[in-house]
Amino acid sequence: MSAPPFEQRYFDDAELGDEFEEEYLATPERVATYLSVSRGNAQLDEEDGRFSDASGAQALGLERPIVPGVMSLSIITRLVTDWAGPAGRLRTLDASFRRPVLHGDRLRLLALVTDATDESGVGRVTLDVYLENERGERPLQGVAVVELPHRPR
Amino acid sequence: MVEHDESVIGVEHELGSFTVTAEAVASYCEALGETNPLYLDEEFARGTPYGGCIAPPLIFTTVNFRGVLPDPQVEFGNARFLGGERVEVLEPMRPGDTITAYAQVAEVYEKTGRSGRMVFVVRRTRYANQHGHDVALVDSSMVHREIEA
Repeated sequence: MSAPPFEQRYFDDAELGDEFEEEYLATPERVATYLSVSRGNAQLDEEDGRFSDASGAQALGLERPIVPGVMSLSIITRLVTDWAGPAGRLRTLDASFRRPVLHGDRLRLLALVTDATDESGVGRVTLDVYLENERGERPLQGVAVVELPHRPR
Repeated sequence: MVEHDESVIGVEHELGSFTVTAEAVASYCEALGETNPLYLDEEFARGTPYGGCIAPPLIFTTVNFRGVLPDPQVEFGNARFLGGERVEVLEPMRPGDTITAYAQVAEVYEKTGRSGRMVFVVRRTRYANQHGHDVALVDSSMVHREIEA
């Protein structure tokens, strides 16, 4: 089930087992836009073409050009922060990269609520998060912790 | 343990600074398919607890200080890739903020898995704003390994 974006999420409404997801298509144009503001990755791409050039990527043993790992991290972060709403705060994100995201991959961005605790009035929700491609592989998986406000009384 | 330069472990270096711009935020959001008005719509953002637009929390991932990162000179493998990242977000970054990055090599260790031997280099980067406040801490694990041609 997709979460409606930009609504405020309240700690009181987060239940263990809640799931939410969005979709993302990793187009070459989006990767190029990311590289346009990412000078380090653009520099790496100029050296071997891994993020934009089919022959450069193949020389590295890749089927197609790939999405920078930190861009994949930003994509999963988008899911979490959009769900949390404007007064929610991402506190930590711990992610492992298991395999590359390739140009053209259609990704499901998925999250599952695994814990929710109130610590001195601060609502903290723990989420398992991952990216899943159309081949059923999970190129990125991790754990995010967000702080959510309590519902006003 | 693989040969490497121990002298860089735990020694923090300033990498450089960058300014968060509204233009960079807009391009970053476009690349991610992000339309969250907290980052893009000043009028909306004024009505939030932040009182104005902030940058997406991982905007710093667009800045990479290749070439100036502290290097433990690991003598192993013909390939390296990003194995993982742990991000701690401390304060929001806003358009106009100047962010300075400081990094150290936190750890070098080995593992042997099904695909063979791997060496992990963990770098810890601290991002601070122009007020001297830390805004994010990041541990990045770079994996060095041997790949057959």
